[in-house]
Amino acid sequence: MTSGPYNYSYIFKYIIIGDMGVGKSCLLHQFTDKKFMADCPHTIGVEFGTRIIEVAGQKIKLQIWDTAGQERFRAVTRSYYRGAAGALMVYDITRRSTYNHLSSWLTDTRNLTNPSTVIFLIGNKSDLDGQRDVTYEEAKQFADENGLMFVEASAKTGQNVEEAFLETAKKIYQSIQDGRLDLNAAESGVQHKPASPGRPLAAPPAARDNCAC
Amino acid sequence: MATSDSEDFESADEGHGSPDKKERKKRLSSSNYSDNALETEQKASNTPKKSSNVKNVEEIPKETDGWDDFDIDDNEPAPTPAPAKSNVQNQNKTIEDKPSNVKESKKSQDTGWDDFEDWGEEDTSSNVQKPEPKPVQSKPQPAQSQKPEPNIQEVTDRLAAASTGGGGWGWGWSVDSLLSTATAGISTITSQVSQGISTVLETGIGAPDPEELARRSVKTNETKTDRPAPAQEADKRPETGSEQEASAGDAAFPFGSLLSGVTKFVETTGTKVIHGGLDTLETIGKKTMEVLQDGDPGLAKKRAMLGLGAGDKPVLSQVLREAKAKAEEEDKVREEKREAKEVHYENLFDDFEGLVHLEALEMLSRQVSMRIEERIRSVDVEKRQDIKETLQQVAELCEMPEEDDDDEESPSEDLSKPDAFHERLQTATQDLGLKLQFLPLVKQYTDVLAYLSSPDADSVKSVYKRGVSSLAQGTALSVEQYHKAAEMLLVKTRRSTADEADALTQMTVVLTKHISELATLFTEKLNALPSDNKEQVNTYITNIFLEAGNSSTYIQNAFQLALPILQIGAV
Repeated sequence: MTSGPYNYSYIFKYIIIGDMGVGKSCLLHQFTDKKFMADCPHTIGVEFGTRIIEVAGQKIKLQIWDTAGQERFRAVTRSYYRGAAGALMVYDITRRSTYNHLSSWLTDTRNLTNPSTVIFLIGNKSDLDGQRDVTYEEAKQFADENGLMFVEASAKTGQNVEEAFLETAKKIYQSIQDGRLDLNAAESGVQHKPASPGRPLAAPPAARDNCAC
Repeated sequence: MATSDSEDFESADEGHGSPDKKERKKRLSSSNYSDNALETEQKASNTPKKSSNVKNVEEIPKETDGWDDFDIDDNEPAPTPAPAKSNVQNQNKTIEDKPSNVKESKKSQDTGWDDFEDWGEEDTSSNVQKPEPKPVQSKPQPAQSQKPEPNIQEVTDRLAAASTGGGGWGWGWSVDSLLSTATAGISTITSQVSQGISTVLETGIGAPDPEELARRSVKTNETKTDRPAPAQEADKRPETGSEQEASAGDAAFPFGSLLSGVTKFVETTGTKVIHGGLDTLETIGKKTMEVLQDGDPGLAKKRAMLGLGAGDKPVLSQVLREAKAKAEEEDKVREEKREAKEVHYENLFDDFEGLVHLEALEMLSRQVSMRIEERIRSVDVEKRQDIKETLQQVAELCEMPEEDDDDEESPSEDLSKPDAFHERLQTATQDLGLKLQFLPLVKQYTDVLAYLSSPDADSVKSVYKRGVSSLAQGTALSVEQYHKAAEMLLVKTRRSTADEADALTQMTVVLTKHISELATLFTEKLNALPSDNKEQVNTYITNIFLEAGNSSTYIQNAFQLALPILQIGAV
């Protein structure tokens, strides 16, 4: 579990959102472990995954927040959008309802993140083309209308999974290069970390002032 | 006197140079200078050299002066005749005095060689030359004063050697313009060629001390110049012939009386230059440099190679040794940093996802606190007081109990340590009404116990590393419990705040005790291990306890972050 190199220069916070059972956690596991977990338990609140990638020669640590899709956790997971640099919005191409809920997810994302947050739409379970309930074209049109990046992917086969995570990172990195994303803003979802030993994130127990004891 | 003569001579020539020729000269000369360092730099690197080099320093300004004078002459041609006359005298003198001419040409060649030293050296030399003593600048001065004139003389003489006697040329103004080009071209070429050669020669010597350098280069130059010398004497004959022809041409020249002296020389040399095949010389010169410098700008590699061959100075090996030492030092620092990271508590805590769980918990806590405040604002004033009292009561329930060492938790002896830990956790949280997953914590404890009794735990260092890592992991897993508990409490349908508060408090007691237990296990192990460095062991033990304190702080902070989540269930 202690994965060696700390020599990354950026940390990007991602959030994965979408209806229950669309395969958010499976996409994460495919990306971090290159494995497909056949029966993923329901996520409680939020779970995490990390992977260090490289964009334009820069090592970037992706800190991925995989949220619970269950409706009852909606209020809890809404607390976690803040400071996401990338949002992966997932639906299931075999279940039309998960596609129909996208506008609600998109509204939450727009309201709870900042304008520079990159939103990537993923139509998961592309391996189940026979049971397709949402065409590529209409999803593509929805993505274009809302300025989202879009692929159909399969957490099972791994198809396009890597691409979705990496393209999001490239877009975020590009925003940094273009100056559209302010690294100093608390909510940017990006931490610049000069590769040096020491505390990789904020100051020690951020809640120290709350400590009444 | 000779110096001023030649300077003026050049300037007189150039006064008639057409602009495009001037361009060409600049281009040519730039190949000598602008390619390399600034002139000042050249001088600087030059000065430390011995006599032969110092001459050279003087030569650079000489050429530059020539260009400058050219401009001045353009504007006020009046002063030109006087120096020109003396120049003619000089010229005649040289022709009459053949032996001296030969001697002078030797000298001028000398300067040619030296000239180059600055040139080729500028980047490589700065290091090499540093250790060399400061020069004796006054010494070369006298020799230098004579040099420039013979330099040109020699060049023209050489050109004459190639010529087949003065041709029947119509003499006109064009001659001197041609000549000016020629002179400039020649000086450039000669310096290029000789520079190139001297570079090679010099590098052959490596980086010798100045005396040696001076002695050797003089010797080499002498042997080199020995051969052309007799040839030059023979060349004098055609030269005289062409001079006579030149005097006939005088009449055709419109400003003859004023510039007769100049033209005389101009014509003489001009003929030779033209017939000498300027282009051939130029091509040879350029080609030579091209070959020498092919893929080796500044001749650095060739110099290095030859210098190494001579091997009389440890410069390169020393540089390599220093570089090696430096690299080793850097490696050591990097290794230390890597190790420091490896046992860095916060990094480990982050790796075990403790930090991100804490961050998520904090976000929840903040969100819920805001909801509580909204609720307070939204109710009547009397109700407000009630709410605040309730909040206060919940906070009091969550105060950590005094360290009462009541051994009520001395469970049945037949349970293993991890199982007993699991049981304590479950007992503590049974009123929480949530299904928390304690198995990761229990498993980690099992792993730690297994490690400490295994033969792997044989070195103080590895036990220490594992100790810090285990504390970080145990803490991360503990923090995760608070985070999960908070998330589940928020979606819980029926809240019983008092029970929840008590349960979380009990859980905190169990977890902090667990952390102490882990720390104790590792420090006991460290003490038990044989070590010849007790001081190191003590430092490690101190650090383990320090990190254990750190761990308890994290856990209690997590607990406090969960407080608003407990409170909101009550209001």
